[in-house]
Amino acid sequence: MKIKIRVPDWMLSPGVMTLVVLTLLGGIAAIVRFIHGIGAISNLNDAYPWGFWISFDIYTGVALGAGAFTMAAVVYIFDIKKYTPLVRPSVLTGFLGYAMVAVGLLVDLGRPENIWHMIVYQNHHSFLFEIGICVMTYLTVLLFEFLPVIFEGLHFDNVVHFFHKWLTLPLVILGVVLSTLHQSSLGSLTIIEPEKLHPLWWTPFIPVLFFVSAVTVGFAMVIFESEMSARAFNRSIEIHLLKDVASWIPYGSGLYLLLRFGQLAYEGKLGLLFTSGNYTIVFWAEIILFGIIPIIMFAQKKMRESPDGLLYGSLSVVLGLVLNRFDVSWIMLGGRIFTTSGYVPSLPEVSISVGMVAASLLVFRYIALHFPLFVEEEDYHDQHVAYREASQAGD
Amino acid sequence: MTTLTDISSIKKRAILFDATRCIDCRACMVACSVENNVPNDVTRIWLAGDGVVGQYPDLDRATMPYHCMHCEKPACASACPVGAYTKRPDGPVIYDGDKCIGCRYCMNACPFDVPHFEWDRGVDEHPIIIKCDLCSNRVDSGGEPACVATCPTDALIFGDRDDLLKYAKERIGNYPDRYVHEVYGETENGGTSYLIISHVPFEQLGLPTNIGDEPVSELSEKIMEVTLPFAVGWAAVLSGVTAGVRKYHQKQAAESAEETEKEA
Repeated sequence: MKIKIRVPDWMLSPGVMTLVVLTLLGGIAAIVRFIHGIGAISNLNDAYPWGFWISFDIYTGVALGAGAFTMAAVVYIFDIKKYTPLVRPSVLTGFLGYAMVAVGLLVDLGRPENIWHMIVYQNHHSFLFEIGICVMTYLTVLLFEFLPVIFEGLHFDNVVHFFHKWLTLPLVILGVVLSTLHQSSLGSLTIIEPEKLHPLWWTPFIPVLFFVSAVTVGFAMVIFESEMSARAFNRSIEIHLLKDVASWIPYGSGLYLLLRFGQLAYEGKLGLLFTSGNYTIVFWAEIILFGIIPIIMFAQKKMRESPDGLLYGSLSVVLGLVLNRFDVSWIMLGGRIFTTSGYVPSLPEVSISVGMVAASLLVFRYIALHFPLFVEEEDYHDQHVAYREASQAGD
Repeated sequence: MTTLTDISSIKKRAILFDATRCIDCRACMVACSVENNVPNDVTRIWLAGDGVVGQYPDLDRATMPYHCMHCEKPACASACPVGAYTKRPDGPVIYDGDKCIGCRYCMNACPFDVPHFEWDRGVDEHPIIIKCDLCSNRVDSGGEPACVATCPTDALIFGDRDDLLKYAKERIGNYPDRYVHEVYGETENGGTSYLIISHVPFEQLGLPTNIGDEPVSELSEKIMEVTLPFAVGWAAVLSGVTAGVRKYHQKQAAESAEETEKEA
């Protein structure tokens, strides 16, 4: 008798296998780090106590998760129901982004087993304390914002109804408040480092700049994530909705540019723009990627309605924001006193972050395939039933 | 081994370092390691400065035992999310490793780059921050800090901060040709309990010279104070907007329903 061995489809997909391998490599590096210390695998040192992990896992992860609260605000606070289909994927992206923040923090903390000390030994002067509390709470809020999707997939209709009736609105408002606080406070962490952060980046107005740029990149991430998942799952993208979202971005980027140059002028730092050598180049790279390119692109109807235009325009915003967060949290923290030794992240250090991104993508893929993540406003239930029947028929 | 003030009457403990007297013997570093029962390479004091400076025959020495400045308004204590740092009213800034979560924000916040981290300890080896605590235990039982006690040339002197400041200024006044006319730490970052007088510019001792008189934590704490009221106000605004928009949409829907009725 022949025994039929079925290989699951995902094992045959090179893309998925690559993600699995990257996740495992990151996991191995993390285990070594937990046993032998941060110094065993990373190049962090006393001159650079914060490096790639903080810049990528924390600063970038939090900012790129901003789509969850901006889209939720559009649909639930401003009550524009039309954009409902964009909320679910962005909340999931946000949740996975913040889960990455949490895991990344456990890797980066010297004593992760003490993380709960933030709740008991509160230091009310510390922006990091505020961020810690906000992120913990917000991760829970995001989980509750997304749970209805899971319950819907499991056909717990009463629970879903209860969520929508009683929980969604208060959760969304709480989520927006928490996001406003910690998105801006990540910038405020540098206010205590006036003699270390380069003057082009150090400013007491940084919380405002961080908040405006987070809202803007939130919209860009909604577009970018939709574009990517459309390519990955062979879906058609919601151009009729995304073109509106794209039309909001120039306002965000424009306001950011206005505030940024206003701040530099107010602080009398405009001269630094031309006299700071490499710093000048990096500053303008931020401005061009985050501000000028998206404003020019998304001012044109043609670009807003083409999939490629949407992809590259939103990517430009994302890259500009990542560069800004890396500058503020790591690269422009010069002026170290005791050591001239620099810091370049090591391969295992980077591999942990890459592993977390890969793991997030795998979870995203699993949920997209098994739960009603991409839905039209009305027909999500029918669609899901159809999908289930189709997959059962496949067995 | 010198204490300027009677130890029992010290109000604010401080150390004065006179760079002209330092002979680079590093006995203070050894004493510190012994006192804190750690290997020599895990120091709370490290030797800073340019070493031998100048051109033969006009040579000079610029060395300094560098350790925690014990600021009046310590940035580490302001930054630490779990309050592992405490500024004692009598001077020392002390650190509680049991509270620490190892986030290393203190290292970023400290304008003097004092806190060091145990990079090579795994999670179950409990890595902590390495930082001078002004030998709080020794001083509490009537002694002087180990580095001061061991210094063979009296380059380090222990005492009350006000007394030491007065004494430092007297020395500068008595030998105006020998010293830079400034006591480092009198006003830096709002004042520190480690005071330094020197014959060479302070940057040659490895000290940062871009530090203002206002504590770096001041602005940060001011902005932090408005955060909670802002959050409450923002939540109220958002709730108001949510309710208002819904009401407006309902009214609109009712109006358009009326219009369709009329047309029919």
